[in-house]
Amino acid sequence: MINVRLEPEGRKVHFPKLGTVLQLLKKLGLGNNAALIIRDGELLTPDRRLHAGDEVVVRTVTSRG
Amino acid sequence: MKCRKCKAVAAVALPSHNTAFCPDCYPDFVRSQVERAIHRHKMIAPGDRVLVAVSGGKDSLALTLLLHELGHEVHGLHVDLDIPNSSTDARAACEGFFTKLGLPLTVIELHREGLAIPLVKSRIKRPICSVCGKLKRYYFNKFALENDYPVLATGHNLDDEVSRLFANTIRWDRAYLSDQGPLLPAENGFARKIKPMYRLTEFEIANFSFLRGIDHVIAGCPYSGKASFPIYKGLWSGLEERMPGAKVQFYENFLREGRPVFAAWSDQQGELPTPCTECGYPTSAERCGVCRIKAMVADDEK
Repeated sequence: MINVRLEPEGRKVHFPKLGTVLQLLKKLGLGNNAALIIRDGELLTPDRRLHAGDEVVVRTVTSRG
Repeated sequence: MKCRKCKAVAAVALPSHNTAFCPDCYPDFVRSQVERAIHRHKMIAPGDRVLVAVSGGKDSLALTLLLHELGHEVHGLHVDLDIPNSSTDARAACEGFFTKLGLPLTVIELHREGLAIPLVKSRIKRPICSVCGKLKRYYFNKFALENDYPVLATGHNLDDEVSRLFANTIRWDRAYLSDQGPLLPAENGFARKIKPMYRLTEFEIANFSFLRGIDHVIAGCPYSGKASFPIYKGLWSGLEERMPGAKVQFYENFLREGRPVFAAWSDQQGELPTPCTECGYPTSAERCGVCRIKAMVADDEK
């Protein structure tokens, strides 16, 4: 299971299996440059692989006000 | 994906530049974009003290750090809007950041001016985002002029600029199209305004802020739900996904080809702002927008 926390709203979603960051972005309906993808304090590019047990933060970048 | 400079594993991929960078090399890319903007538009003269308008968000705090590291004398100015569940965090982010860097920060509290945003929102029928923007611009300009800062810098990024240009283009608003750009010279009661981050997208600045450990507010303003700019930003993000580089091309081509045409039209109109009869700051009417808002709020209070 890959556990994903969406920021800023704080919602959590879980995916049984994902290959790459790009697949995660597509599952969330986000473009490549719409969010920071953070794992263990490290930024991931869309080609990076995700693994079972990963805790991932998806932080959208569009500022509102 | 590998870093273009050192071939280490990349942390940031930039399709619009057809490149990628590792955490160590990426900040150099961001710094070079800001340096290029400052140099190309002659934004800051040697020795200029720079007043930076800071909101507590990633863009204005990143701008502060970059200007400081580029050797400019920086003073921060934050306007505390007094919005519940928002303003306290924004102010704390600014104060914490400036304390950490050892830089001066001034906070203007709108509630002391009788203009706390929730109060204004309850009294004014216009969209609160435009009123709030007007108030912030007024106090930034006033502070810069009263305290002899030759230049006022804001953290507006490429997405802000493109969405604003797009909104002005949809309306073919000639007056706004005539003076949109990363540098507005000091004239007619306005301080010189600069936007050194205009070549960087929100994504690019968010990556920089993360890698440099900038502790900024992430939550948006609770009143921004009906703002139109996020709609335009969403449209442009979709376009940029399909056509990397479209944003910067749209904006830079406007600066080169479009703005001079609208500026020439504006010059022919010959309409210059005049001092407000109450506060003395520039306005196109007898009494400026901020003095009118103040009067409306005060009338309702009676």
